[in-house]
Amino acid sequence: MTTLTSNGKALTVKKTFSRETGVSIDIQADKSIIWALLTNANDYPRWNSTIISIDGTIAANEKIKLKAKLDPKREFKLSVKEFQPESTLVWGDGMGKRIYTLKTIGNNLTNFSMNEKIGGPIFPLFAKMIPPFDQAFEQFARDLKSEAETISKTK
Amino acid sequence: MTTEQFTKEFELARPHLKSYILRITASMADTEDIVQDSYIKASLKLDTFKGDSTVKTWIFTIASNIAKDNLRAKKRWPETVTDICREKALNNPDYFPEIANLMHTSPQAQFEIKEHITFCLTCISKSLPLEQQICILLKEVYDFKVSEIVEIIESTEAMVKYYLHTSRSKMTNVYEGRCALINKEGTCHQCSELNGIFNPKQDFEVEKNKIEFAKKANDPNRQNLLDLRFKIMKEIDPFNSNGSALQLHHLEHNKKIMENF
Repeated sequence: MTTLTSNGKALTVKKTFSRETGVSIDIQADKSIIWALLTNANDYPRWNSTIISIDGTIAANEKIKLKAKLDPKREFKLSVKEFQPESTLVWGDGMGKRIYTLKTIGNNLTNFSMNEKIGGPIFPLFAKMIPPFDQAFEQFARDLKSEAETISKTK
Repeated sequence: MTTEQFTKEFELARPHLKSYILRITASMADTEDIVQDSYIKASLKLDTFKGDSTVKTWIFTIASNIAKDNLRAKKRWPETVTDICREKALNNPDYFPEIANLMHTSPQAQFEIKEHITFCLTCISKSLPLEQQICILLKEVYDFKVSEIVEIIESTEAMVKYYLHTSRSKMTNVYEGRCALINKEGTCHQCSELNGIFNPKQDFEVEKNKIEFAKKANDPNRQNLLDLRFKIMKEIDPFNSNGSALQLHHLEHNKKIMENF
């Protein structure tokens, strides 16, 4: 994937057998606040306008069911493939995986990036049926930044 | 610190500690046990108290840990707890005779809307995850600072802030959807209903307008209304108020229902 700039703008790279979308944004909050938001499944709909629901527990080797506004009729059954607290979260299925990464870049300043790659040998057959992720990724990043920075200002 | 000094400090903290534990456990018996166990546990390890925090914070830390152990295996209450328990009360032939008896025998069995609002806040707060309930009560009712709550729940500042923010948002949303005092579409009229039963001569609208958050029902900042609820809670000692016997009876009733729910 081309290196993302931390401006909250999504970038998509399309190839014959895959499509990859990423977004990156700097958030004025401690990593642990962002991690808490990313890993509390039933709290997502409260702050994240791209998510309808997430059922299950976001923890190592757990399974979750996700419904997104981008494709509200579908329920994605996903496995948590990597869970490194306050650093990396990966979930996905046979078609692809989404990677969340957090990096401390300053005092109370964290870089958040989210990347999803979908693809495989039969990807060209259904590629046109999958809506673009760019807007949803940008909204996700904006919502996360807004919520985390609000929490960070709690006195 | 000597045992005598500690006992003095504990007695000063006891009323707040008792009401805090009651609001977490919803059980008078558990509250008595946890407060007593906290005293014993703290007394036995007085030598470990280094004075890094106030004695009150240290006592609340010990009590919170005991309460968390007590509540670990118990389910959290649903947001609709008051609806569920209302139905059960109406279908229980013993419920109202018990209340009537209480009103004849106890001087602390008057129904006051403010006290019922506090009771309601206790019940709704039990629908939050336990850590969130503890954080919001410590902050908004018992005036602990974020740094002190970090010590009490043995967590990080970031997580305490997350719990506080999330719990406030959740409670604001619950009340927005349910409470008829602040939202005409609200589904819960329990305080007006009970006021009609216990105080039939009172004009509910007049009584309602004595409550600040009900008067400010149109405030676009809905979290301000939640703050006003907490302000009422802060001013009421659930063990020693005009209607404490009545509200404790309600709370005990709800706890029993929820244990079998």
